[in-house]
Amino acid sequence: MELPVQQFRTKGEQGYLDMFEAAADALPGARESFVSGLRRKAIEAYGRLGLPHRRIEAWKYTDLRSRLTDAYPLLGPTGVALGEAELRKAIGSDFAALPAYRLVVVEGDLRADLSDLSGLKTAGIEVVSLAQALEKPPAWLKKTMGQVNPREDDPVVALNTALMTGGVALRIAEGLTLDKPIHLIQLDGKGEDVSALTRNVVVAEPGSSVMLLESYGSLGMKGLQRNAVTEVVIKDKAAVNHVKLQLEAGDALHLTTWLVKIGAYARYEAFQFSLGAALARNQIYAQFTGEGSQANISGAFLLRDHQHCDTTILVEHLVPHCGTRELLKAVLDEESRGVFQGKIVVARGAQKTDSKQMAQALLLSESAEFDSKPELEIFADDVVCGHGSTSGQIDEDLLFYLEARGIPEPEARALLIQAFVGEALERIEDERLREAFTNASVEWLGAKAG
Amino acid sequence: MLEIKNLHVNVEGREILRGLDLILPQGEVHAIMGPNGSGKSTLAYVLAGKEEYEVTAGTVTWKGEDLFAMDPSERAASGVFLAFQYPMEIPGVATMTFLRTAVNAVRKARGETELSTPDFLRFVREKAKLLKIDPEMLKRPLNVGFSGGEKKRNEILQMALLEPALCVLDETDSGLDIDAVRIVAEGVNALRAPDRAMLVITHYQRLLNYIVPDRVHVLSDGRVARSGGPELALELEESGYAEFEAA
Repeated sequence: MELPVQQFRTKGEQGYLDMFEAAADALPGARESFVSGLRRKAIEAYGRLGLPHRRIEAWKYTDLRSRLTDAYPLLGPTGVALGEAELRKAIGSDFAALPAYRLVVVEGDLRADLSDLSGLKTAGIEVVSLAQALEKPPAWLKKTMGQVNPREDDPVVALNTALMTGGVALRIAEGLTLDKPIHLIQLDGKGEDVSALTRNVVVAEPGSSVMLLESYGSLGMKGLQRNAVTEVVIKDKAAVNHVKLQLEAGDALHLTTWLVKIGAYARYEAFQFSLGAALARNQIYAQFTGEGSQANISGAFLLRDHQHCDTTILVEHLVPHCGTRELLKAVLDEESRGVFQGKIVVARGAQKTDSKQMAQALLLSESAEFDSKPELEIFADDVVCGHGSTSGQIDEDLLFYLEARGIPEPEARALLIQAFVGEALERIEDERLREAFTNASVEWLGAKAG
Repeated sequence: MLEIKNLHVNVEGREILRGLDLILPQGEVHAIMGPNGSGKSTLAYVLAGKEEYEVTAGTVTWKGEDLFAMDPSERAASGVFLAFQYPMEIPGVATMTFLRTAVNAVRKARGETELSTPDFLRFVREKAKLLKIDPEMLKRPLNVGFSGGEKKRNEILQMALLEPALCVLDETDSGLDIDAVRIVAEGVNALRAPDRAMLVITHYQRLLNYIVPDRVHVLSDGRVARSGGPELALELEESGYAEFEAA
């Protein structure tokens, strides 16, 4: 006989269920059966899973349930007035000045006044605001949304699907190579405690090539709980260069998930850079579904104070002849904590898989902590899979060499930290972008000295 | 201008220098020779200011000041230069960036104006040419993937750029073939000047065929056991270090 089990829920956990009940009828797409069906299924999955905690292996080092004690209210767009100055302040002038097709999403709302919609259209990109698309989804979106590497076992993704309010959906036409990056700027949190749940969908049609930079910032200094998901479909022979800049306010909770499906002879280049938020979890789930493709995923985070940043990557090789390269660099100061979890799954029959993972941390204080967990699950016999992890302090011999050349100690230290991060930044092909990231690291180092 | 008196130095609790005395006048080149373990490299590191080298007694006076009161970067600014036996590799720092940071740090500390990018490039190219250094090499990360000869030439390039008053060359000839030794030695000789003293540390006499010293000192067991003119090096080439080996 089965006994009915009354599941205990924390206040934060229950908060999302209540939020869904209260908002369900008003969420975009409420009267659209495809969308409401997705949402219903997702909230049920979340109800079963609850918020992840440290006894769940994938969340061993990031106990979301204990950190998320209270779910902030879901805030719709307020149409807040926003100018160039605010943008520059939120993401830094180097990034604001990058030549790009700009898409600005504020409180989930794709802001036509701040975005280059006509430029994108002229260039051959189909772009729709997600809030609108949910009301009346185009056929290509219906075929995509919620089906790109769906990860139904992930409660963060489930919550996003249940409660998403906005974002953008993009389709890059077959064979099109975009001349400039698309810069998607997402800003929230102007002075109110708020939950921002946004969803983006990117479809790169066969043979297309695009670079998408996602920048995340806060407008105010008060609480922000972000849960953003980007679904990326890379069709055969397409290439997507996917970059993230995270500069959110010091008390923000930042959860982002990239769900990626990679077709045949395709290329996925991902780079993530994190300086902000109190707690950040960057999830990447990528799946190879066509042969002869390559994914290069790298990133850097620089943390201090009590910041916690977790990068969790799962790459599934479902087919033969694909390669993965991962490189993460973490600079950890004061009481901060960095986490890297990298899992590579090689399915039966995915022969000639070639994967390498490397996670390296530079600890600048005695109390900083780095947890690294590389995992391999291999069901094929003709593969090359390697992983490594290092964590250490600044090399005193290198420091002495620089000092012996007249470089004063603080500068010599900064140069070595920059060099450490530089190895990850070198993976960025776009020179201006690489420079912007380099400057952001230098500024971070400068803030320490001062 | 460099005066070492009764210098005692411990490394990891072991006494390596045991009362070393040495005077190096301005503009002179002195060679330091000696068997392995006699304290040659310890002397080099202690002059440059490496932390693990603990000075337990004695003094080093440099330009009339206490050398030990300065940290390593201050010593470099005051003109002390150590050419490392094993130059460090630093991935992620372009050689050019490193050279420019060093040159401008030293210029700043000496109260000179920092060099602009074009001026600096001109300065580097001119010095690099003398050492037969390919400018392409300077774009690569510092010493990463450099051959032994390239690393040593890079050391001498740094010496030329920083314009030191005291050059300490720690086994600069080690691991080099005869052609590389000649190029490095020519680079060093080009830097000989009346206001520049040099301490050339070497195990073999070979280097001294190219860099002819004013004086030769033989270290043994942490002290100067014998001093003489250039002919002393030739004598050692004949007889070896047997009589100087630690008992």
